[in-house]
Amino acid sequence: MILDLHTHSEASEDSRAPVEAYLKWLVRKRSILPIDGIVLTEHRQWSQRVDYRSLEDQYGLLILRGAEVETDYGHILVYGVNDRITERFDFTNVRLSAQELVPAVTEMGGIALPCHPGRPTIGLYEHYATKPPIEGVVAVEALNGGSRRGENERVHELIERHGYRAFGGSDSHLVSLIGVCATEFDCGIRTTDDLVAALFRGGYRPVDFRDRLRTAA
Amino acid sequence: MAISLDRSIVGVEFDRTVCEPVTETEIRTYSAISGDPLPPSPGGGALVAAPTFVVSVRGKKFMPPKLPNLGAAGFDAGKDIEFGEPIHPGDVLTVVSTVHDVYEKTGRSGTMAFLVLRAVITNQRGDQVAVIDQKMMFR
Amino acid sequence: MAHPIGFTDLDVGHEFPRLQLTLSSEQVQQYALAAHMPGGRFMSDAAAQREGLPGQIVPGNLSMALFARLIAEALPAGVLRRLNATFRALVRPGQVLVVHGVVTEKHCTEAGESVECDLVLESAEGDRLVTGTATVRLSGESPTAR
Repeated sequence: MILDLHTHSEASEDSRAPVEAYLKWLVRKRSILPIDGIVLTEHRQWSQRVDYRSLEDQYGLLILRGAEVETDYGHILVYGVNDRITERFDFTNVRLSAQELVPAVTEMGGIALPCHPGRPTIGLYEHYATKPPIEGVVAVEALNGGSRRGENERVHELIERHGYRAFGGSDSHLVSLIGVCATEFDCGIRTTDDLVAALFRGGYRPVDFRDRLRTAA
Repeated sequence: MAISLDRSIVGVEFDRTVCEPVTETEIRTYSAISGDPLPPSPGGGALVAAPTFVVSVRGKKFMPPKLPNLGAAGFDAGKDIEFGEPIHPGDVLTVVSTVHDVYEKTGRSGTMAFLVLRAVITNQRGDQVAVIDQKMMFR
Repeated sequence: MAHPIGFTDLDVGHEFPRLQLTLSSEQVQQYALAAHMPGGRFMSDAAAQREGLPGQIVPGNLSMALFARLIAEALPAGVLRRLNATFRALVRPGQVLVVHGVVTEKHCTEAGESVECDLVLESAEGDRLVTGTATVRLSGESPTAR
């Protein structure tokens, strides 16, 4: 099963992509982008009230939700967000403590994974040069569709040194960039709980569809 | 320098300017230099300005005069333009500017404060010509 | 005269013909003056460096004008209703720029027919410098001309 684990809809202030437009695009591009679902990871926010089940039924694609939060070690994707997590951590705070966030999210039933770790300032790679590793990190976003040349490449050193698993995501803010990078899971995933369990367990890898898209263009 | 976000400035109108009439020279010059072509004039009517000509329509004050401490060096981080009635030579445009939003986030450049300034531009008939939301980044 | 592309000619995924260009320092200066934004950073390397920048930069507004030009050339029968852009990185004069766009949605409503487009301005190496979207109306009642 292939999921794009890092996407932004128009709910994120720097994205203009409606969720339904993402789904229509994926259905149309199915032969090039074999994506089974997306995880919406909006910037610095979480709403319990959002429900995309009707869109899932209409387009036959899984839609899960997480969040992208900002910490003293860079940006982190949080999956399995629940009331306990949002009561403890204010997602609008751009100075969250990563050392506090990651183990606490795990303890409260979710998982927190650093994204775009090779990116300057907001990626783990640079922070690890001067600060101790974050306790409890199990995987990092090795492939980010929005990263610039060289940024994804720096991550391999991080993964080898710390034994992290690797996943991928598009970091899309535009409809046409959905699914360019994603994560292939060996198991099926139907719910956020399934996703959290799979991310802890292993059996996944990043996948890159950018060459396929270039060839098809 | 610590960035402070003072949300009391949101919604505050800081400028209302009635501009000099738009000239044909300005319209043609902007189009020639920017590459944004002149649209066709419907029915052979009056010259129509290129869509992005609206960004050259500016109030007397570009920024609110009493800014909270947002950090040094403001940069244009992005724009959202909603286009309305076209602009013709002779149009007298009024620009009303307000602070639409202020927020903070982190990026490659570090911690940044964003100020969103909204300019509503109307013509002499009161028709809305454009609404421009401009994001200014401070760090 | 070739028939201009209309709503029924477009499919989601339709890519616009790309623009490839380089803006000179003089063009950037002229644009800044024409757009009533004669800030030092747009006029010369020295003035930009005094502001802490690596050198003269291209105004974001000019990048938006390039988006508008891309759409006007691809869809000459279209009327731009909305245009937005995020300026992700500095654009410099002398840099080879590639501007491209793609139709992502089609709408047919009582107000008329329109398409949504994604827009990208990138370096020759493929780094995305400016991204944006546009809504282009392709039929329906035009705004009243004088």
